[in-house]
Amino acid sequence: MDPSMGMGLVALMGAAATVAGCSEDLESDIGSQSNPNSQVQLAAQVGYPHRVFNKAISGEPPSNAMYCAVGAGVAMMLMSESTIAASPLLAIAVGAFVSALLNGVFSTTSYLGRSASQTRFNQYVYLDVLRNHVFGIMGHAYITAFCIVGLSYIMWAVLPVTHPFPFPVIALIWGLAVGAIGSSTGDVHYCAEREFQDFKFGAGVNASDSGDITRFAEAGLRSSMDNAWFCSKFGGPVTGVAFGLVVFLDNWRSTAFEGWTAVVVGLVIVSLLIIYNRRLELYARKTYGPYPEYAGEIEA
Amino acid sequence: MSVAAGGEAVSTETPNQVDTKGVVVGLVGIYIAGITAGIIGPYLAFFAGIGAVFATRMGADGVRRVCSYGIGTGVPSIGVLALGMGLVASMFGIAIGWIVGVPMIGPIVGFVIAVVIGWIIGTLANKVIKLNIPVMERCCMEIAGAGVIVLTGLSVMIAGSLDFAVIIEKVVQTGFIAPVFILGALGILHPFNASLGPDETQDRTLRHAYSTGAIAMTISGVCSIAVLDPIAATLSIVVGAFIWYTNFMGFVRLVQRDAGAGYVGTGLLPPGAM
Repeated sequence: MDPSMGMGLVALMGAAATVAGCSEDLESDIGSQSNPNSQVQLAAQVGYPHRVFNKAISGEPPSNAMYCAVGAGVAMMLMSESTIAASPLLAIAVGAFVSALLNGVFSTTSYLGRSASQTRFNQYVYLDVLRNHVFGIMGHAYITAFCIVGLSYIMWAVLPVTHPFPFPVIALIWGLAVGAIGSSTGDVHYCAEREFQDFKFGAGVNASDSGDITRFAEAGLRSSMDNAWFCSKFGGPVTGVAFGLVVFLDNWRSTAFEGWTAVVVGLVIVSLLIIYNRRLELYARKTYGPYPEYAGEIEA
Repeated sequence: MSVAAGGEAVSTETPNQVDTKGVVVGLVGIYIAGITAGIIGPYLAFFAGIGAVFATRMGADGVRRVCSYGIGTGVPSIGVLALGMGLVASMFGIAIGWIVGVPMIGPIVGFVIAVVIGWIIGTLANKVIKLNIPVMERCCMEIAGAGVIVLTGLSVMIAGSLDFAVIIEKVVQTGFIAPVFILGALGILHPFNASLGPDETQDRTLRHAYSTGAIAMTISGVCSIAVLDPIAATLSIVVGAFIWYTNFMGFVRLVQRDAGAGYVGTGLLPPGAM
């Protein structure tokens, strides 16, 4: 294969990963999955019943690994010579659709089950919340699964140096990775900012304010749907860039270089990122550090 | 019902009852599928899937009891750990059956190995890390044992055989082991995770476990179209989808029962919360 073709494929994978990271983060934000979930789950228990979608599917990394592995498994079945030997694009689209259906079922049972388990705290099960949100969640899950399964297929079958693992296993691993990055990078901008928007500094508020999430919107009651709008301004794209860089840089070094050179290039990239992050942290501390009036802990 | 506060979970069905059903139905299902495959072909492979559904329920009850002690985010961690041991023990057991030339001992060897590893991990967690959860050892054994039966059951259902070489060729090399592993894991973890809260009830959680197990069975059936007889695969899909539908609807009815007057079509916040 022409080397420039290989680099083009790596760029395509990076682009798909960027879209996947963004949609994964927005999907988890609409459903209040992962980090934000602890406050949503706590809210009713400390006296703040809400109309926010409450779903938890065993954590973001395993749930996204499930969607991607199932999408890839179904695509693999459709592409098999013993079935209809479908074209990869069609097979991946159908696989991602099955993943989205799976996501819908798991989201529905999460919302119903979790809300019904808080009956004593006056938390209602709102069927309109379920109907309004579940399709938005499924739509984002479809985009994520399509992109991840697609880039796994490129790694497995198209790249000049194809991967030794079977295609669904690669999808499982990238699903875990996108869930982990969405959980660590993107969720902060929902759970720290959006959930505590009516507090002066967002999250980082007193422990006594835990669970006092923002339940009222600009007009009426807040639902989770507009979290996608809020988080698509920063949290989603930044997750996409983070995941896209992971996929792009990792595949770029193994496509452009060979053997030990690729390993050394990987070490250089990681070292540069560590140094950059450290400098950024020091700069932020110096610039925005302890508030000027902060005078240490006050004894009780 | 002391889930949020931490402590022993309230049960209407005892752990021994749930475990007996899970182990017996699980192993019998796998053996029906494995033994009949050599006689009439893989048409009864779906019995291994039914075994996996019951084993999922047993694992979910184990998760429910151990996580009632307020483990919180440890729910997925402990489950994936247990399923990891389950996967290793499952393949190890089937490989041992292949090495000694008696494939039929595979599932039982795998189950015993998983239970032993589960006990060791539970003991380490309790005695070394000092979590001091009374049911830790037993629940780790249950989750790992359930993991073995689920993974073996679904693998046998896809491969239509108990033979190690066939399972490696049809399940591991094709990569179908990935959806099998993660669907088995989330099937066990999700029922309690989706019902977390002080008003969680055992019958609702376990009803949900049937439905998540059936999802794993159905998707594994879909994957098996590529490697197994189409009629056998279709049977697995139809039976799995039927079990899923009936239990999903049953779960919704139990949600209605538990939510009571709080199960509403739409509305503002409850009185006093506005």
